[in-house]
Amino acid sequence: MRPQLGISQRLIQLGVLIFILAAWYIGTMPGHINPLLLPPPIPVFKDFWVLLTTSGIWPDLWVTVHEWIVAVAIAAIAGCSLGYIISRSAYAVRVFDPLLAGIYSIPAILLFPLYLLFFGLGAGSKIAIGTTIAFFPVVLNTIAGLANVDKAYIRAAQSMGANDFQLFWSVMLPAAFPVVLTGLRLGCIIAFLAILGGETISSLAGLGHRIVSLAENMESAQMFANIVFAVLMAFIINGIVSFAEARGRRGFQ
Amino acid sequence: MNRGDAVIKVEGVSQAFGAEGDPRRVVALESATLDIARGELLCLIGPSGCGKSTLLNIIGGLATQSTGRVTIDGQEVRGPSPQKVAYVFQENTLFPWRTVIDNVKLGMAFQGVAKAERESRARQSLEAVGLADFAQHYPAQLSGGMKQRVQLARALGLQTEILLMDEPFAALDEQTRMVLGEDLSVLLARTGKTIIFVTHSLVEAVFLADRVAVLTARPGRIKKIIHVDEPHPRKSEFMTSTKLGDLRNELYELLHDEIRKTMTHQPAEAGV
Amino acid sequence: MTATTISSVPRVRRGPVMSPGWARLLAIFILLALWEIGARLYADPLFLCPPSQAIASLPHIFGDPKIVNAIRVTILELVAAFSMSVTIGLAIGLAVGLHGFTKQSILPVILMLYATPQATILPLFVLIFGIGPAAKIAFGVSHGIFPVIVTTVAGVQNLRPQLLRAAHSMGASRWQVFTSIIFPHMIPSFFTGMRLGMTAVLLGVLLAELYVSTAGIGFYTRLFAESFSPPDLFALISVLAAIAVTLNELCRMAERHFRRWNAD
Repeated sequence: MRPQLGISQRLIQLGVLIFILAAWYIGTMPGHINPLLLPPPIPVFKDFWVLLTTSGIWPDLWVTVHEWIVAVAIAAIAGCSLGYIISRSAYAVRVFDPLLAGIYSIPAILLFPLYLLFFGLGAGSKIAIGTTIAFFPVVLNTIAGLANVDKAYIRAAQSMGANDFQLFWSVMLPAAFPVVLTGLRLGCIIAFLAILGGETISSLAGLGHRIVSLAENMESAQMFANIVFAVLMAFIINGIVSFAEARGRRGFQ
Repeated sequence: MNRGDAVIKVEGVSQAFGAEGDPRRVVALESATLDIARGELLCLIGPSGCGKSTLLNIIGGLATQSTGRVTIDGQEVRGPSPQKVAYVFQENTLFPWRTVIDNVKLGMAFQGVAKAERESRARQSLEAVGLADFAQHYPAQLSGGMKQRVQLARALGLQTEILLMDEPFAALDEQTRMVLGEDLSVLLARTGKTIIFVTHSLVEAVFLADRVAVLTARPGRIKKIIHVDEPHPRKSEFMTSTKLGDLRNELYELLHDEIRKTMTHQPAEAGV
Repeated sequence: MTATTISSVPRVRRGPVMSPGWARLLAIFILLALWEIGARLYADPLFLCPPSQAIASLPHIFGDPKIVNAIRVTILELVAAFSMSVTIGLAIGLAVGLHGFTKQSILPVILMLYATPQATILPLFVLIFGIGPAAKIAFGVSHGIFPVIVTTVAGVQNLRPQLLRAAHSMGASRWQVFTSIIFPHMIPSFFTGMRLGMTAVLLGVLLAELYVSTAGIGFYTRLFAESFSPPDLFALISVLAAIAVTLNELCRMAERHFRRWNAD
């Protein structure tokens, strides 16, 4: 329930924004904050503009996006398949659902050094961590969606003579679809975050890698610009994925 | 009035949960024996938990009985018989992701009816319930009464001989129920199906049925069967007649004690 | 939760089946066995090792005082970051949530910050705080405060205004209203926030530790990875995972306990 934001609240938000920008500008004037830690706003905006309007960042952007797409694809296929298989038996659900939820609670980032060992510093380790972390919301939601189909629908279909295949295809799949879609959205989002994290820890290319190298070279303004770019990418991906989920759900609610 | 031979025979059907001697054992239905004639409309009525829905589910093959047997046209019922029996449920079972007409067509698709015929049958059924204009709507856009009519259309579209209806109007307000009841009577007179109808409403039972089977409180037994001798389709004048009033009073007498028994002895349980 | 299985006839009760708890242990055991056999037969020992070797490495891990110290420091960082997240998050959450005005103007800013990928600013944290524990604690706090703030605000938000009016009509002062109504009402959400905060702090601190590869845990994970010693690496990771699970479980138990007490 979102109350309509009044003019005064919008003004406050704008005021906060202006305050932050002003503080940033004044604080970084010569003699105040160390420019290596917080560069002044104008160089940052200039560098950010360069990032947006030239193609310098595209190779790294493509590396990150490509890692993300592959990770999500593998997680989606594996998660939906395993989720389907488990959901076929109430007993299997009782055994494996808590087990998977329990494993999910272990911070997945701990696996990353193992993936570095196994896959090396390239895209493989990032895809692996992205897949690992995205797998869980997909499989858990697939199980939840398929196992919790409203029994009324199933009874109705059975009374109309549906065989097992028809029941699955015409009733259970569409009924489960919104929940599965939510799981896929969550998986997409956390996969992107995990991949950025992996690139930050150790990588040869990608958005995270750029930020780290710029930090190591003390190029503060550029680093900040790249951070803003990466955050922007995250928001765009969030937006695309949420939109896709909302569209997908619309036909099925 | 002799309508026809018995098409459904229920012989000594009982339904119990839990083993003998188990203190938590629940006997939903005890030794129900009943014959339902071709083309008749039989109402099952009784207090909550008396097993009327259970009996309906057993006849329809959606539940298994503990003892006894049910035959339809001489064949024992072992599971859903979609060729012979169509169901109208109390809760909404229209699939929200399909349009109204696609919902009506779905059951036919399950049974392998040809595409062209599905379309024509679906349209006919929707016409019969007065919803032809809503074919392309989604269930979410319909009112409760309209959704139930679509469920009825779906059941009619299957062109089965037998129709089982489990409190189909329970979720609707009384005024809608009255109107739908009249529509149902007209519809059924035309189609000549054999119908078993579960309801809580005394007036609805008398208005619609040829016979009303009254069940006792749990464990449910058939206490008495009342005949309603009135030709179909039932007109709205019947609703206000003394004949209906008398029959309703007779039902009330039969049911009153059973309802009391339910309230003092057991916690109410829905859907049994 | 009973699953809906695809069968057209009601299922008949079979004889006693293994309880799910035992079945789970069996499943884990089977997986470990497959890993053990598969690794022994097929794995290149430079990249993958069977679990038995990983377990055999544990004494090596615990025997090295420098590694033990790194683990100890990590635990201290986790505890520090968690405590700070909870206190700061609670303070901010109450300040924001109790006044409708601040809630509507500042909360959206907080939510936006919550949604940013913090991995991108990790190098910045290290630049500011250095490679010692401070950066890791700070990064952990940066992760942990958000769930605490959001759940605190939610906990305060759901309070029915009638309760507040009733208290005021009985002459309660603001402080009394806070301690006797608002605070108890908020406790269940707060403990949920604590549990989510613990998960977030774990992510933040561990991510920072792994990034700083010149000292601490990150040094040893890099060392073991670069020297291709999977048993040591597996052993170290397992120890960290065990610590994480324990901390998560403690918070979950606390949450369950306090939610039961205040069943609203």
